[in-house]
Amino acid sequence: MISYSEKEVILKAENVSLSFGDKQILHDVNFEIHDVTRAGVSQGQVVSLIGRSGIGKTQLFKICSGIMAPTKGIVKIGVEQKPVEAGDVGIVPQNYILFNHRSVFKNLLIALDHSDRKLDEKQKKEIIDKHASDFDLSDHLSKYPMQLSGGQKQRVSILQQILTGNKFILLDEPFSGLDAIMVDKVIDLLVKISLMDELNTLIIVSHDIQNSMAISDLVWVLAQDKNHQGATIMEQVDLKKEGLAWRSDIRMDPLFQKQVDRVKSLI
Amino acid sequence: MMKRIVRPLELITPKTFYSLMAAEIAIAVLLWLRFSVNLIPGPIQVAKALGELLSTQEFYQGLVSSLFLTFKGMLISILISLFISYTYFIPMLKPIGMFIVKCRYLTLTGLIFLFTLLTKNGSELKLSLLVFGIVPFFVTSMISELASINVQEFEVCKTLRMNNWETWFEVIIIGRLDHVVETLRQNFAIAWLMITMIEGLSMSEGGLGVLLIKANKYVNMPRVFALLVVILTLGIFFDFLLGFARAWLFPYTRLQVMK
Repeated sequence: MISYSEKEVILKAENVSLSFGDKQILHDVNFEIHDVTRAGVSQGQVVSLIGRSGIGKTQLFKICSGIMAPTKGIVKIGVEQKPVEAGDVGIVPQNYILFNHRSVFKNLLIALDHSDRKLDEKQKKEIIDKHASDFDLSDHLSKYPMQLSGGQKQRVSILQQILTGNKFILLDEPFSGLDAIMVDKVIDLLVKISLMDELNTLIIVSHDIQNSMAISDLVWVLAQDKNHQGATIMEQVDLKKEGLAWRSDIRMDPLFQKQVDRVKSLI
Repeated sequence: MMKRIVRPLELITPKTFYSLMAAEIAIAVLLWLRFSVNLIPGPIQVAKALGELLSTQEFYQGLVSSLFLTFKGMLISILISLFISYTYFIPMLKPIGMFIVKCRYLTLTGLIFLFTLLTKNGSELKLSLLVFGIVPFFVTSMISELASINVQEFEVCKTLRMNNWETWFEVIIIGRLDHVVETLRQNFAIAWLMITMIEGLSMSEGGLGVLLIKANKYVNMPRVFALLVVILTLGIFFDFLLGFARAWLFPYTRLQVMK
């Protein structure tokens, strides 16, 4: 088993509930994400949020990013545990929203313009060029988003959030609409991002349970509570405790397959 | 082949499309030749009247007057409309935009007397009526376009730490400039349509509308049709020009069309 330790809490939801009028969408959602550390690696966190369509994943997503306020409860972020605000957490929507009137370079530049770092134009260009190379986007910097494939748009969208300086990134269905080869490339990219900084935290909402669990260290199952209206996190699977995290051959492990089947049965 | 050109949603080659268009124009001209009676002059009569019209100085004076009034009216209307459309997203100013949109249902006829009292001369009267006629339609198109922006665009701006003013500027103003030109293109037709009507209210400055009214008064139908041909041709030309300007100024719009 890979050894690791958990440090302070970096994202926490306390009794988060959401209702629209009489309709309860979420009730008493509680979770904690700890800063995980591993010797010799800048190990970030990858969490999968699994649930059926229409259960309230998107709403929970928006609450976690601070762009929607819960009816009750609070989401706290960072080592200092301050209430989450819009701009603290990045979002990569399923349909990869980019500014169609800006070239890829300028889409990335606007992200850097709003980061905490004070940089001159030359430094900004250098940073964009370096990241574009890492994300296999160097040949596309002068193109407009309409000229990119779905996978390229996704990479630009993720890179935009990284350049803004967001350590927390929520990804909505990152594997949807991609072929098998592209899914593997996205998986590699997400693993790479999670290893870029110890505090990097990816929360993946996906229907592709197998793939999202394969790169996660923690899984939340959002499901309907039989005794209560609205959805809540019914089960938390800590893959690292079971030795099922950070392994490239994880899909071959029967224990992992068992966990995948169990999560499927819970939703 | 025959089945393909009558079946909905069939894809045809550009060559087939232009052949169809040429054939339909030829049929329309033939029908025009065959069924033209006293009140509807034939194409030869119209062509003759057009030749006569183009050789008069009165026509060119009228054309310049109409174009000048249209451009001036459009420029003022665009500035007013853009201000109202963009500020529609500022809660305090939203009711103004909502009211202007409803002004589409106001008829100009009842307001001519009021505008006559408010303006100093015929030129001002025509201009103010033109602006009042265009603005509600332009604002309606713009607001409808801007209100349909995907809410996720605003959310992404928030995650990129842009404040509300920056988001408004980036998404609504800069991000939709190409739509302004497209809306302008659509509404230019309305301005062009209104110009001939408004010119009749103050005939001293001339214009294509005045020429049309005079030709109608003397039941000179070949000249009426010749003027309509000029108005239609100019309208199509400006439509093309604005479409070209949009593609040139905002190259990414061409990519959207190509996709």
